[in-house]
Amino acid sequence: MKTWMSKGEHWVWFSASAVSIAVVLVFGLLLMISARGLSHFWPHSIYEFKVEQATESAVYTAEIHNTRVRVFEDPQNPGVSLRENQILLKTANREIYGLDFRWIPENAITSKRLAEGLSVFERYEHGDMYAVIEAFEVNGERIDDLVLVKDRMRSQLAKSHQIRQELRHIERGLIGNINYQLEQLRFEQRRLEQRGQLTEQIIADFDADRARLNQEFSELETVRNELYNQLSQLGTVIVSLADGAERRLGLDHVVRFWQPNEMHLGEKTAFFFGSIKNFLLDDPRNANTEGGVFPAIVGTFTMVILMTLFVMPMGILAAIYMREYAKEGPVLKLVRISINNLAGVPSIVFGIFGLGFFVYVLGYNIDQMFYSHVLPNPTFGTPGLLWAALTMALLTLPVVIVSTDEGLSRIPRSLREGGLALGATKLEVILRIVLPMTTPAIMTGLILAIARAAGEVAPLMLVGVVKLVSELPVNANPPFVHLDQKFMHLGFHIFDAGFQSPNVEAAQPLVYATSLLLVLVIVTLNLGAIMIRNRLREKYKSLEH
Amino acid sequence: MSQNISVNTGRDHRNMSLSDEKIAIQVKNWDLYYGNSQALKNVTMDIPENRVTAFIGPSGCGKSTLLRCFNRMNDLIDIVRVEGKMHIHGQDMYAKEVDVAEIRRRIGMVFQKPNPFPKSIYENVAYGLRLQGVNNKSTLDDTVEWALQGAGLWNEVKDRLNENALGMSGGQQQRLCIARAIAIQPEVMLLDEPTSALDPISTLAIEELIFELKKDFTILIVTRNMQQAARVSDYTAFMYMGELIEYTDTDSLFTNPQTKRTEDYITGRYG
Repeated sequence: MKTWMSKGEHWVWFSASAVSIAVVLVFGLLLMISARGLSHFWPHSIYEFKVEQATESAVYTAEIHNTRVRVFEDPQNPGVSLRENQILLKTANREIYGLDFRWIPENAITSKRLAEGLSVFERYEHGDMYAVIEAFEVNGERIDDLVLVKDRMRSQLAKSHQIRQELRHIERGLIGNINYQLEQLRFEQRRLEQRGQLTEQIIADFDADRARLNQEFSELETVRNELYNQLSQLGTVIVSLADGAERRLGLDHVVRFWQPNEMHLGEKTAFFFGSIKNFLLDDPRNANTEGGVFPAIVGTFTMVILMTLFVMPMGILAAIYMREYAKEGPVLKLVRISINNLAGVPSIVFGIFGLGFFVYVLGYNIDQMFYSHVLPNPTFGTPGLLWAALTMALLTLPVVIVSTDEGLSRIPRSLREGGLALGATKLEVILRIVLPMTTPAIMTGLILAIARAAGEVAPLMLVGVVKLVSELPVNANPPFVHLDQKFMHLGFHIFDAGFQSPNVEAAQPLVYATSLLLVLVIVTLNLGAIMIRNRLREKYKSLEH
Repeated sequence: MSQNISVNTGRDHRNMSLSDEKIAIQVKNWDLYYGNSQALKNVTMDIPENRVTAFIGPSGCGKSTLLRCFNRMNDLIDIVRVEGKMHIHGQDMYAKEVDVAEIRRRIGMVFQKPNPFPKSIYENVAYGLRLQGVNNKSTLDDTVEWALQGAGLWNEVKDRLNENALGMSGGQQQRLCIARAIAIQPEVMLLDEPTSALDPISTLAIEELIFELKKDFTILIVTRNMQQAARVSDYTAFMYMGELIEYTDTDSLFTNPQTKRTEDYITGRYG
């Protein structure tokens, strides 16, 4: 034992256990997020529960969502605590029960069996509905044969998706475009008015344009109303609930429906991947508690790419100046220390700076100078994509500078001298020899910056991220990337769905799924960077003696 | 190449004299300071054209520092200050209006440790030409071949010109650096202990090369190896503590040193 101690073995064991604890924690976290996030997409079986309690006796068709042990004080014997196992049931049918989740004591459940013939309806509002299909009515005709009903419902749903797609195209694309043009007309007129160049003739032209656009608008509106009308005539499904009550459900409210208890594994797997696809490509619904995260993905990527465009040149140039041109001395040392410390400044501070400087000072002045015809509506004087990207660029600047600087310092002096001895100027040596060799280090910095920016939420809440946007920051209207627009972000989406939503239980799976997505995005970025860096390092390996 | 390189390689040292030579570089009252400490003291010498001039002396005697003055490499060190005159073919190298890059194109340098760029063999040799704006493929091809042949490397690498130069052996790398330097056809070549990081066989190859190169270039070589100085050079300068102690034709210096210090050094009493 003594020799064991004197060899320092116990320190090895301590450090080894520290490593294993860290590994267990990290993998535990990932496992939990993945399990909870992915199970949201799996079509779980639905059971029929008979519940007998002092206050109620009822039948629920529900999915088991969670369990807990509740400890409470015995009302008869104060001071004695009782334990009770509870199950969280997802009963869905929110508009009927008021809630779609409820905790039930395990011992209140008198019977549990697989709910036969039950369908789950995913709806555009009120969350899911769990019910048994009885019949389907379309165009005044009633179908009772269940096989026929399902076939007919499927074909009508396909039609519904087609109509909705058209509607989306009309509302987002065409009507959006007309609104955009009307807006531009108004601004143009304001600008001319401010300059005093407005003549009767020009006003008449503007009015003519406006009339033409309004005419187009009303034509589109007719088409739109016709489509809505078609939607409402898709048919009505008649269902019965667990308590036997009949309900009518318009097919225009249904996204899709499925029978989880009758699906086999293959169908369930296909459903699972289909759900993931919808999650990635759909817009959010119901105050972000349902639907997909597509706008958040687009917003996150656009912001990160813009940030990269800002931070790379700034960071690389700063590092080159510090390493290659600035004189070593107390000033440079101070600058280095400051930059290193900048990396440790809390991100919310950057957010406040972004709001105070970019939005209120820069944005305000830009509006005064270039967008005065739009005032008092702010263009850049309000949080938006540009300011968010710039704020994030500032936040990640130290990372890029430090890693580029380190990369530059690792290039051997002999190589620079080799270049200079051939008659190259200092600039030529930097551009043709030093910088190419520094790319692995620059890549490292870039990746760290991207990973950090993609995951950061706090500063973005101040400078441009919002809960929901009607338009993506990238679209078909020129200038295609709308720097002044607000955008959605995966990180903020997690915060919003998890903590700001009226229905926390319903949003919970989505929070996990979004977290998983965010983690995956960042892990992918990091892995990609590490691979690129290693490949480049391999290329220059023999130089680093 | 199978020349027998030894002290007497068949060159006739006896008839050599500095006064008969055409002078390439003139150094007059040259002082160099690192901050407050003086590293070169009042060096005055004439470097003959198309000859090999060796600089020997114990570590820290200033021979490398002096060599780096010839292509103004010391400009890179902030604390270095120089006084005196240095002329190449009559042109003041340290005059204000002189383009340093131009000086370095005329006076090439090969360093102690091989320092090829992490590019292909071809691009290493072509680098200096590309800097001068030469991008014509056939001109580049011709010059690269000529330079590699001049450096005695062509036969070894002609089939892998596009491979990374870092994959070559140390000796090959050093010859590549020589090829890279001669590709831009300088007037003078500075060799700073070019073989100190190489094995004996590579060393021999480089020495043979120096012998070939002096037909076209004026060569200055710093070496710690006195046998090498005796083998390759026509003239030898012995330096000690920043001063030029003795400078004459190689044979005289090694066979008949004029000062006690030179004699002590070449007989191995110190250094």
